[in-house]
Amino acid sequence: MSMERKIPIEERLNSNAWDVDERPHIRIKDPDQCRKCDSKPCLYLCPARCYTPGSNGTVLFSHEGCVECGTCRVVCPNDAIEWNYPRSGYGVQFRFG
Amino acid sequence: MSIKFDAIIVGAGPAGLTAAQRLASKGLKVLVVERGRKPGSKNVYGGRIYAHVLDKLYPEYVKEAPVERWVRKERISFLTEDSGTTIEFETNNVEHKSFTASLSDFTEWLGKKAEAAGAVIISESPVDSLVVKEGTVVGIRSGNDEVYGDVVISAEGINRLVLERSGLAPKLEPQMVGVGVKEVIKLGRKVINDRFNVDDDEGVAWAIAGFSTHYVPGGAFIYTNKDEITLGLVIYLGHGSKVDVPVYDMVEEFRLHPFINRLIKDGQLLEYSGHLTPIMGLNASPPSLYGNGYLVVGDAAGFLLHGGIIIRGVDFAIESGRVAADAIIKIHEEGGKYDGSSLSLYGNMLEESFVMKELRAFRNAHRALDEPRLYNDYAKFINAFLKRYFDVDGTPRKIFSTFKETKGNLTILDMMRDMTKVVTNL
Repeated sequence: MSMERKIPIEERLNSNAWDVDERPHIRIKDPDQCRKCDSKPCLYLCPARCYTPGSNGTVLFSHEGCVECGTCRVVCPNDAIEWNYPRSGYGVQFRFG
Repeated sequence: MSIKFDAIIVGAGPAGLTAAQRLASKGLKVLVVERGRKPGSKNVYGGRIYAHVLDKLYPEYVKEAPVERWVRKERISFLTEDSGTTIEFETNNVEHKSFTASLSDFTEWLGKKAEAAGAVIISESPVDSLVVKEGTVVGIRSGNDEVYGDVVISAEGINRLVLERSGLAPKLEPQMVGVGVKEVIKLGRKVINDRFNVDDDEGVAWAIAGFSTHYVPGGAFIYTNKDEITLGLVIYLGHGSKVDVPVYDMVEEFRLHPFINRLIKDGQLLEYSGHLTPIMGLNASPPSLYGNGYLVVGDAAGFLLHGGIIIRGVDFAIESGRVAADAIIKIHEEGGKYDGSSLSLYGNMLEESFVMKELRAFRNAHRALDEPRLYNDYAKFINAFLKRYFDVDGTPRKIFSTFKETKGNLTILDMMRDMTKVVTNL
């Protein structure tokens, strides 16, 4: 992949070793909280773009690509995120770290 | 599982594995429980390890450990869209000071050391919670399994869910941590040697402030491995609301800055990672570092010295693991009663080690590092000043008049105040 341009985050995440669980390890507890949330820091601070804007001010979440950093649960102003590590052995496998 | 261990360690990182190696080498029955595929597969850091602690604890590391390059050049830069000002320090005495390494490799190596000493490492097992009976931690729970031990060491890292769930640490506050994002880019050994002007085993450690984080408190870094460079940035989450582009785009803008891009031309991306990092040292420690049946080491304990330019996590992790093990060995020899008062030995021994001596000295570092002007006004000023000063066009450019012309919103009072904060706290 050429590095002379911004590489879309999805492509960058594809360079990692993964074993993605079908079952999400993170969940938005109450989507209504997100609708009311003005700042939505998750959209800017999640390194993997797991959070994207939905319609009517909602936030959509996808656990695929999650690098398991925990930033979202720290910055969510409404404590609206239920956060677990992936089940045994699943998730990102860093080869360099 | 009905076996009982002398010690159970949550997390196979540098802190947990050092404790495991030391305990096992004294004959204690040790279990390390790790959520990743193998030790190291969930670890992320910037890129370098300070070696002083290895000289004492793992003297064989020089021959055995996966060292990438010994850091020979230290660079500090203030970057703007079109300019950059860099201080470069270079030394010939690089042996045993600090080296770049892949943390996954290095941690895997520590895991082999622990296993060779007799510790049992169970991977692919996220610990859900501690087992607490009558106010004492007696084991860990992972899925449907409970495992019991005389003492439990939390070495779970900064995202310390296990301690939080047991009520032993409050929820992390944004101002306690930064989010790091990092790219590993393959260039080849010769290309790195040429572009960074180093020999085969010599490396560069580079901290870059300003445009690299869009002038938001935090900083960017570049380290040279043998065949790859690691490039990334950290945003202090207390200032997270100030970022104007998502962090995954910000790191790309930094990488594509003309001064950086030319260094990584024709590179190949090998990995993209993200991780939290403690930035407040002891101010992010849990209320207690030990209690009935448990103690806390490494990042989970807030043992990371963040001094702006110098960032040290692995040496503090390793030393705290060493101290925890030594305290446990002593208590074990005296009958193995691990209540809060006997484990205060761990607290006392930490005070004697560089862990607390250095972290206490830097306990107010964040007061200086939290100042937004450092990453914004000063980065812009130093570049504007030098740009104007060197832009010879036939009009006189004395230092003071150039200063007045380029200082922007900075006042001399701000500068004196900020200088005082930096000098007194760092």
